[in-house]
Amino acid sequence: MGLRNTLLVARRQIGTMRDDRYVLFLLGLVVSLGVVSVLGARHHTASEAEQRARYQSLVERQWAEQPDRHPHRVIHYGFLVFREEAPLAFFDPGVGAYAGTSLFLEGHRQNAASFGDARHSTGMLRFGRLTPAAVLALLLPLFVVAAGFASVSGEREQGTLRLLLAQGATPGQIMGGKVLGVGAVALAAALPIGLVTAAFGTAGGDGQTSATRLLALAAGYAAYLAGWVLLTVWVSSRRSSSRAALAQLVVIWVALCVAAPRLGASLATTLHPIPSRAQFTAQVEEAQRGVGDSHNPDDPFFSALRDEYLARYEVATVEELPINWGGVVSREGETITSRIQEEHQQELLTAHRRQDRLMAWLGLLSPYLAARDLSMAAAGTGAEAVEAFRAQAEAHRYDIIQRLNDLHVHEIKYDNDRAQRIARQEWTRFPVFQPSPPSLRRALTDRPHSLAALGLWIVLPLAGLGLGRRRLPRVGVDSSGS
Amino acid sequence: MRSESVMAWIRLIRLEFARVVRSGGVAAAVLLLLGLGVYAGWQGNRRIHAAQAAAAAAETAYRDQLAYLSSIYPPTTEAGELLYYLAFPAPQPPSRLSALASGRTRVETASLRIRLLALEGQLYEHETLNPRLAAAGHLDLAFILIALLPLFVIAVTYDIVSGERERGTWRMARLFARPRRLIAAKVAARVVLATGLVTSMALIGAFSTGIDADGRAGWAVALIALHTLFWFALCLGVAGGRRSSTANAMILVGVWVALTFLAPAVLSLTNSLLHPVPEALELTVRQRQGYHEAWDLPRAETMESFFEDYPQWSDWTVPEDEFTWAWYYAMNHRGDQAARDASRAYRDILTRRDEWARRWSRLVPPLATQIALDRLSAADLGTQLAYQESVRSYHERLKAHFQPLLFSAAPIAQVDWERVPTFEPAAPTGGASQAGLPAAATLILISICAVLPRLRPRPSRDS
Repeated sequence: MGLRNTLLVARRQIGTMRDDRYVLFLLGLVVSLGVVSVLGARHHTASEAEQRARYQSLVERQWAEQPDRHPHRVIHYGFLVFREEAPLAFFDPGVGAYAGTSLFLEGHRQNAASFGDARHSTGMLRFGRLTPAAVLALLLPLFVVAAGFASVSGEREQGTLRLLLAQGATPGQIMGGKVLGVGAVALAAALPIGLVTAAFGTAGGDGQTSATRLLALAAGYAAYLAGWVLLTVWVSSRRSSSRAALAQLVVIWVALCVAAPRLGASLATTLHPIPSRAQFTAQVEEAQRGVGDSHNPDDPFFSALRDEYLARYEVATVEELPINWGGVVSREGETITSRIQEEHQQELLTAHRRQDRLMAWLGLLSPYLAARDLSMAAAGTGAEAVEAFRAQAEAHRYDIIQRLNDLHVHEIKYDNDRAQRIARQEWTRFPVFQPSPPSLRRALTDRPHSLAALGLWIVLPLAGLGLGRRRLPRVGVDSSGS
Repeated sequence: MRSESVMAWIRLIRLEFARVVRSGGVAAAVLLLLGLGVYAGWQGNRRIHAAQAAAAAAETAYRDQLAYLSSIYPPTTEAGELLYYLAFPAPQPPSRLSALASGRTRVETASLRIRLLALEGQLYEHETLNPRLAAAGHLDLAFILIALLPLFVIAVTYDIVSGERERGTWRMARLFARPRRLIAAKVAARVVLATGLVTSMALIGAFSTGIDADGRAGWAVALIALHTLFWFALCLGVAGGRRSSTANAMILVGVWVALTFLAPAVLSLTNSLLHPVPEALELTVRQRQGYHEAWDLPRAETMESFFEDYPQWSDWTVPEDEFTWAWYYAMNHRGDQAARDASRAYRDILTRRDEWARRWSRLVPPLATQIALDRLSAADLGTQLAYQESVRSYHERLKAHFQPLLFSAAPIAQVDWERVPTFEPAAPTGGASQAGLPAAATLILISICAVLPRLRPRPSRDS
């Protein structure tokens, strides 16, 4: 009996929305935008990925085809790596546009990545990007609001709410039915976008991983949208007029989805400022100055090191060493500069993480932030993916540079150092850069705030609906209006 | 008679104004917007200071580095060796107006330092910005005025007619004045309110950042005012009709979302699909290859290509069996030469993106306003390209300055550091009116179109 009433109300709600031309128009708009965004973003990321793969293999070929070269020459020749986006980047590009895509790995210095999408964009970008994730997280809630703001208040205005109650439907059943009805329409909007995404997401690449990630995305967005459906029906049930319900819901949407992320980012920048690139570079230079400068013949660190090597090999001059002293200096110098640079990099990343933490806490207030955060995590396009790439590229850089320095130490004689060459076959023995993106489990467990926020986002309106149940018949009757 | 009607008119507006301001929601919204405005102004001021600090840091770092290098290299060392390390500052001071409309300033590196080596590899490094925050978007006064203020306009106008009708007060109100005049008075009262808001925000912005009241600032204020008026025109166009308040609200919010989020996002995606940028990676690969290949080539060959660009040195020959700094920097130049076509294509495609965006943004009032403001505050893509161009010319001037020393293998002692060229910042692209006028014209035109249906005389049958 109870379920039947609920389903009847749900059917009634769906019928109302189906007859509403405006809601139908919006439904068509949201679905077509979603599908267009999948196709457009898919095309964009596919061509980007193709380019990066093409240049990556070109760079690998150029590396392998180097002529006979002195290893220190190759240290400066270095290596180029291009950041590969996660397979689901077309769904949610995450932070990818704001991180560089190409990184030059060379000796003596950690370069910063270059050429992010955002730097190739015009001022339009600041209003947001048309991606499937944006359609689901930003526009669909507004569609839910448009479809459901009058769900209960409309019945009240037409006097049919009292009729429903008189016919024996309890407030709980009415609200449950409304939630189901509005939820069904939300599903009708989200499903096509989800299906198109799934069709592209599982095609090509690692199907298994993508399937898990797609499921995580589906679960996240389902919870997020369910929260909006609950909130919409709740607000509608508390307001005597549909107009007031609509106004309140629009204000909530603007506050949570438009204002909160920007205000949050702004607060995070203010509370945890970070040095600019110019300042950062200056700090690194300053720290490196004097600490084991391999180009300075009088440097105390290298003098001490030289004495140690001379004692170990029981010789009087570096010329007599069985190994190449120039290579040793270069190797030790690399160790020192790499350490200093990595320390500064970590300091910068710590500041970033402090900013992120503030955003994570704000996510408890804005489910939009939490949903986007989880969406990036599931799509594999969060900040941790960018950082994993940077860290792995740095490890790779350090590895090949020190291999080259070892060649310098052992294969090049100290005497007439610069004139010698390593045979070209050696270059093909170097490891290839194979980045491994962070796992889905890691990405999700690193986001307890966002997971909690999404839970809260469902529980709060649900509790509101439950507690407000008894008041339903009285709203707008015994109060003095809206 | 005439002055009497004006007095009545003013009284009507004052009455309406008092009514609007007294309703609780409106007062709260005004306070909220003002609060956000103050915050954004303060924030913008901080951003300017940060950009100035970055510019100063680049200068200081150069002087520190020069002092350090001079201390470790004996003055008899060849200048080429010291110059290998030295990074010259190219600080671009922020435009004051960018405190209010920060545009793309956050994603750009404004204070580069460049070495005398191949340039193309030194221009495009990313800022230290946290990508997660950047992805969340940012808040400046322009965003509040362009994106949020229209919502306020919608909130106070969507029911100017339908509200009275639904409350049953419309008939009574009509006794005091003719409907069209009444609507005009109601809109006027709200325009006064919004104008007050925009003016106070502009003053807040001006005082918190010390912006000069020049042509660019004037255009910025004019555009914001016109943009706000556009929203009034649109609201009047929709709300002056016979729909219910709820329908008006849904339509207006829908239009707001479409103009503020959808249209920019669709245009942005279209722009990037129409103008892909493979040249970015191409020029990187080519520059690296062009320079490093030279190590394995006969030196005369490298010098030949160097002389193509600097024929004044073509009498010189460099020894094949001995390292010379002249040859070393010529190899670096070869890297830039190899990347030249790709680099030019890269700039061309970005320029085309910029122009395309400016052209199509005219269809969308908030976007037209935003892009014009970006231009006025020198925070657009075009300005960034101009900055890169001035870094290029600075690099050329540095090369021209040091080439005589490099070719004559002069020692450090011969370098007069006081006479080293200094960076000349890029001038803002285009004049103020060149940036403001098209957007202003668009806004006026679209506003007229939006309000046109309400200006046509029609049988007054107001129930």
